Amino acid sequence: MAALNDIANEFLKEEIEEFIERPNERTRIIDAFARATPAMQEISAALIDGDNGTVDTLTRAALDGGTEALEVMDDGLIAGMSVVGIKFRENFIFVPEVLVCARAMKAGMAHIEPILSASGIEPVGTVIMGTVKGDLHDIGKNLCIMMLRGAGFVVHDLGVDTSEDEFMDAVEEHEAPLLGMSALLTTTMPNMGKTIDAFIDNDMREDVKIMVGGASVTQEFADDMGADGTAEDAVGCVELAQRLLVELKQEQEA
Amino acid sequence: METSVNKPMKGRDRVLAALRGEPVDRTPVCNPTSVATVELMDLVDAPFPDANRDPELMARLAATGYTELGFDSIMPVFTIIQESSALGCKIQWEQKDNWPTVKMREPIWTDVDDIKIPSDFLTHQDTKCVLDAIKKLKKEYGDEVAVIGKTMGPWSLGYHCFGVEPFLLLSLDDPGRTHLALDRMKEATVEFGIAQIEAGADALTLPDHATGDLVSGEYYRRFLRDLHIEMAERIPIPLIMHICGRTVDRMGYIAETGFAAFHYDSKNKPEESMEAVDGKIALVGNINNPETLFARGPEEVSAEVHQNLEHGIHLVGPECAVPLQASVENLKAIPQAVKDWHAGHAA
Repeated sequence: MAALNDIANEFLKEEIEEFIERPNERTRIIDAFARATPAMQEISAALIDGDNGTVDTLTRAALDGGTEALEVMDDGLIAGMSVVGIKFRENFIFVPEVLVCARAMKAGMAHIEPILSASGIEPVGTVIMGTVKGDLHDIGKNLCIMMLRGAGFVVHDLGVDTSEDEFMDAVEEHEAPLLGMSALLTTTMPNMGKTIDAFIDNDMREDVKIMVGGASVTQEFADDMGADGTAEDAVGCVELAQRLLVELKQEQEA
Repeated sequence: METSVNKPMKGRDRVLAALRGEPVDRTPVCNPTSVATVELMDLVDAPFPDANRDPELMARLAATGYTELGFDSIMPVFTIIQESSALGCKIQWEQKDNWPTVKMREPIWTDVDDIKIPSDFLTHQDTKCVLDAIKKLKKEYGDEVAVIGKTMGPWSLGYHCFGVEPFLLLSLDDPGRTHLALDRMKEATVEFGIAQIEAGADALTLPDHATGDLVSGEYYRRFLRDLHIEMAERIPIPLIMHICGRTVDRMGYIAETGFAAFHYDSKNKPEESMEAVDGKIALVGNINNPETLFARGPEEVSAEVHQNLEHGIHLVGPECAVPLQASVENLKAIPQAVKDWHAGHAA
């Protein structure tokens, strides 16, 4: 187990001391940063600071210097974004600050994605994501997609205002084991239930695990709608997707 | 809540007294956002989307809040997009069972200097519809119930006209330009609000979605508090601020604006909300929409109403615009629960 002083970057140390309160998360994050090279730590720090220009420059430099794309993504960008996710969950920062960090992550991913696509690495799983019918809000969904892609999932983004048929067609077309639906408005949240009902009516419910999310979505609401799970934020969405994928495989093997 | 008036009051008087902090005969039941549902649309043959664009249908559907549900107020502005449409935003009007929405992925403004209130802002079909509907409702029901209008605040207009993500990014990248944008957009808020007063509105809901799900309470103080104080000074009738989501961290600031009331969400408990506003502003709310009004029955609705009343909430109603699929039975349970509670506490 690493200690805080094993991390070279002073900014990262300050961030951990100030914002990471849960012991298990603190241990995991200190371990991750301590393992990372100073160059990767610098990328994480710039991302947490929302400095997209620096993330862009450092990512390019790291790749040009021979660092593997996966290492830059995991140890630099995703490690930084996991701190951002925790700060958001704990209300230390809000959506504008997250958007600035996400913009920095996108700047880095723009260099990494073409390399990963060309490398033929097997994806963790396929996820269909969309905002439900009647709802045009997509910030939360987009953050989830970014984190899911970062975690190795292939994500097909159906965008906003997605009908039941569009969700079902996409799951069928891509043989996706996971579906994520987003809704910000309490007025459109019932459309999640309508979509799940459509999957049941078309004998497709057994083949797919369904996640729902949005600012007002609670576990109780998710249960009422017949979803398989919900998460509070984008970091939680990745954990949920990983768990549901394992569950589905176990069910199919049983 | 003062309930020392023994003589039965009319709904209008009850709502306005509660908004002024004066005694009432019982807690008013108020809908500052919307109680339109598919069931009510069918009942009076006034379906969405037409009921958002035709003043006759808008007034007919709005009246059901009083005639069918027994609320003390009528709110004809079901959507949050009427003035955005008049400003030039592209609208997806949807069908009977879905809310119309602004196509925020196709923003009309990209720079603060793009902001312009069109000369036909108040004669555009979608703002004029509201003004005409208010006139009709005032004429027909104005003596009985409070007719409440709605004018969107500049923060919400920013989401609609710039897009949520670009507007929030602007707020961090260039706070000065953000202040300038809000200052320019607020003129639309005031203009539409005053036009609704002239049409006969007794009070106005002013939604300005600086919600805790998106921005901090400090953000509210930095960008909106002073603007809202200015609006309370310039719009001369009771104003009801509406912000969805978790808002306890900004209720203290909102209570200082001079608004008459704050319409609060079920994510905030009545007791902590009452403590946060410290008697400086009335609270309206906060019956949960997705889990209670949509998915549960009258018993659960009554329990939430009673919880609000026990904590002294000044006006009771749904937390936000109710889901279009909510049942009339559940909505009618709100005024009934208020009456039952007061009957039980009369002694």
